[in-house]
Amino acid sequence: MGTAKYLLGKLGQLFITLLLVLSLAFLLFRVWQPGDPVATWAKASGAHFSATQLAQVRHEWGLDVPLPEQYVQYMGQMLTFNFGTSTILNPDASVSSLFWSRMAKSAILIVTSTFAAIAIGVLLGIYGGWKRQGKVDQASMGSSMVLYAMPEFVLGMILILLFAGTLHLFPVSLYESPIPKTGLAHWTDVINHMALPWVTLTLAYVGEFYLVMRSSLLDVLGEEYIALARAKGVREKYVLRKHAVPNALLPTITLVALSFGFILSGVITIEYVFSYPGVGKLSVEALTQRDFAVLQATFVISVIAVLLANFIADLTYAYLDPRVRRA
Amino acid sequence: MRKVRRGLLVLVSGLIIVLLAAGAAWAQSASASGSASASAAGGSGGTFIEGTVNNMRTVNPWKAIESPEYEVLALNFDLLENFDKSTLQASPGVATSWSQSSDGLTWTFQIRPGMTWQDGQPFTANDIAWTYNETLNCKLGNSLDYLVPNFTKSITATSDTELVWTTDKPTSAPIRPPWVYIAPQHIYGNDTCAEINKEPFFEDGKPMIGSGPFQLTQWDKGQDWTMTANPNYWGGAPHISQFKVVLYDNSEAMVNALKQGEIDYTNLGSVDLFNQLQSESGTNGITTHVGPAVTFGQMSFNMCDPTSPDAAPYCQKNPGTGNPALRDPAVRTAISWAIDRQTIVDKVLAGYGEPGTTIVPPFATFYHYQPTADEAIGFSIDNAKQILADAGYKDTDNNGVLNDPKTGQDLNFRLILRSESDIGARLGTYVTGWLKQIGIATTSEVVSDGKLSQAWLSDDYDMYIWGWGPDPDPDFMLSTFTSNQCGTWSDTCYSNPQYDKLYVDQQTAPTPEDRQKIVYQMQDMLYKDIPEVVLYYDKSLEAYNSAKWTGLEDNVSPQPEGFLWNQYTAYSALTLQLRGADSGSSGGASSGLLVIVGILGAIIVIVGIVMIARRGKSDEDLA
Repeated sequence: MGTAKYLLGKLGQLFITLLLVLSLAFLLFRVWQPGDPVATWAKASGAHFSATQLAQVRHEWGLDVPLPEQYVQYMGQMLTFNFGTSTILNPDASVSSLFWSRMAKSAILIVTSTFAAIAIGVLLGIYGGWKRQGKVDQASMGSSMVLYAMPEFVLGMILILLFAGTLHLFPVSLYESPIPKTGLAHWTDVINHMALPWVTLTLAYVGEFYLVMRSSLLDVLGEEYIALARAKGVREKYVLRKHAVPNALLPTITLVALSFGFILSGVITIEYVFSYPGVGKLSVEALTQRDFAVLQATFVISVIAVLLANFIADLTYAYLDPRVRRA
Repeated sequence: MRKVRRGLLVLVSGLIIVLLAAGAAWAQSASASGSASASAAGGSGGTFIEGTVNNMRTVNPWKAIESPEYEVLALNFDLLENFDKSTLQASPGVATSWSQSSDGLTWTFQIRPGMTWQDGQPFTANDIAWTYNETLNCKLGNSLDYLVPNFTKSITATSDTELVWTTDKPTSAPIRPPWVYIAPQHIYGNDTCAEINKEPFFEDGKPMIGSGPFQLTQWDKGQDWTMTANPNYWGGAPHISQFKVVLYDNSEAMVNALKQGEIDYTNLGSVDLFNQLQSESGTNGITTHVGPAVTFGQMSFNMCDPTSPDAAPYCQKNPGTGNPALRDPAVRTAISWAIDRQTIVDKVLAGYGEPGTTIVPPFATFYHYQPTADEAIGFSIDNAKQILADAGYKDTDNNGVLNDPKTGQDLNFRLILRSESDIGARLGTYVTGWLKQIGIATTSEVVSDGKLSQAWLSDDYDMYIWGWGPDPDPDFMLSTFTSNQCGTWSDTCYSNPQYDKLYVDQQTAPTPEDRQKIVYQMQDMLYKDIPEVVLYYDKSLEAYNSAKWTGLEDNVSPQPEGFLWNQYTAYSALTLQLRGADSGSSGGASSGLLVIVGILGAIIVIVGIVMIARRGKSDEDLA
């Protein structure tokens, strides 16, 4: 009973936040427009249009009705994931197809690199927390601070200079060779192109996971039940495995869920530096070329991703820590 | 015993990784040689890949603005005539010959017989007549003026192979040649004006139908596009089988891709990267090429003066915020004297350019007007100061900045610079410094092209620095200073009835020599009136993989140096071919990955061996 109530409450919160954010997006893109989309489109297309032709386009885009009516239409479209058609980037193509084709390429990059970052960061964090001030801990602490503080694009550029500029080992851009390969060669080609952005993203996130895992493990190791377990003569290995780590993992799990939520916004700079054709680059293109339909979609979808990730973090937290459900 | 097994596990997994890497390397080399033999067997000539940082937005031939769009259109379609290699004047192409009647009012063109569209349908004079009439009737885009709509009477196909063009006044417009790509009537003939304006011309799975040596067959918008050779091209089949363009976000990534063999050619906007490539040339199979100076950079002044009786209607409606002091010719002349164009060429362009003079670059050898020694405005801070002093500008409030004698205000101008140009901010630094020396303050701002366009169209600026890539024929460039271009192509909203009249005169000049005189006069007028200062003519900087490709001609130019690629007519596109039989694609980069995987595997193997050795020892110790 308590669980269901908790779930419903969280779902309600999620939905209200979503409505608020969608309304904010409406304000941003329709009411306070950064430049009239129809005028921008006309200019980008390079032809001279008469006032009637422009009015026609305005009508097709549903921009000629009063704002409240636009708002209702807009909400209907957004909640059914109908993002309309792209206006400038790829005129007349559906925004969804444009988005998902790019999303596939981003997802493969981000999901794999985030998992790698989690695995490395968490394991190092456990080891560092356990053998505090040891050689491994000192080394990982120093490098984590540097990686955590360094902007991703700087790291990316350093890797480009080193591996592509000096060693000529990896391509620095795109998803695959300009002439696509087939079979096994296709996949080695893709991995090869993904190598540098992947390493950049992984390194950029390792620091965060390491720092959180290490400090939360240190907190837990100071708890009385750990002292009790040790006093009972439980072997150090089991103290760590059965008592300390499961409790110390809680904050990390929140971080994991949240970091997946920031997938879309987090890769913008990386994809731009590496000319990698994913959603991050798509949103930059939409922004610079003022394709407001695509921009609106990337905005709304990234917001939904963050909200969902938060929701999932809440649920996992509740599952792992019964106190949360009751509170 | 269990401990030994763990070491074994590590050892075995390391070995597996090494084997996988070796297997992948083998598969890769096998597939590379496979594709090489396949292409040799098919007789096809490989894919030539260009890298660019300029996106293609449309392939509707009436709506093209930017160079990647014209690059595709020029290969996919034909104009009425070609551009001659050495003069860039009209030469036989689709029209094999032409004549003008003795009264100068009728042009008759003989059209090449037996031509076909890329879908196999016959190409006739009717297609040309339809394209031109559609352009005139629908007032289509930027190409309309090439057909001199004010005095064209009719354009008709009198047979499949003859086109007749009549005008009210004698004109040489039909042989400039008109920059209107000829579109197939059998496909678009039933389109209304609104439909033709929105016509995409390319949709997925439907190649674009034209009559040129290549046709657009793939376009992943915002990423890459591919053109496939047309074996039935009337000028002969290209050697290469495909031409592909890949879009990069930044020039650095693009140059790296060129070095690694991922792309074959690029035209660079960055002098620094070009110099870097040049310093390495010979070591990496990349050849650099300095082409002619076709484009120019200019500093424009806000000339919109709503109080003037000659002001363009657009300027009257959008008076903007231009500083009235810039309407004083003395101020503009002084600024022009204060700019050291040679230093800009040396320091900003690293020598890849020439100091600017008039709006028709020297590349257009026949029409470029070079100011005489008396007229020429050089670099002299003293002259500039003198001109301002003579015009009554004094520093009345002793703050180091001159004051406008009419208003008493400081001469402080806003200068807008481009963030999307590699040299925008650097140009600004120099110009600001020189103007300071003559007592003019500037407030500079570096903005995106979008923002600059807005400021420019709303006349909300004092000065800005931008550039142009003019046609070989001067008509279009000259048109941008006519008063009715204010609000569309005009840089400055310059308005001068005398200039407007000369523009029409040059369009109707009966012979090229007559026209040349008028075109000279127009350039001279702008050079003295100074609505803008032409800062420099910048050279085209190209680089390509010469280890892989041969046959790029650089002789398409009225000057000694020409372009290698993206010429106005398909020359290099037909002569380009793979060097020898080697069509091996980029293996270097992929092997980098395999090297790393191999090393990783080897490390794991060593760790495994060490573990086994150590554990073994400890087992012994236990025993």
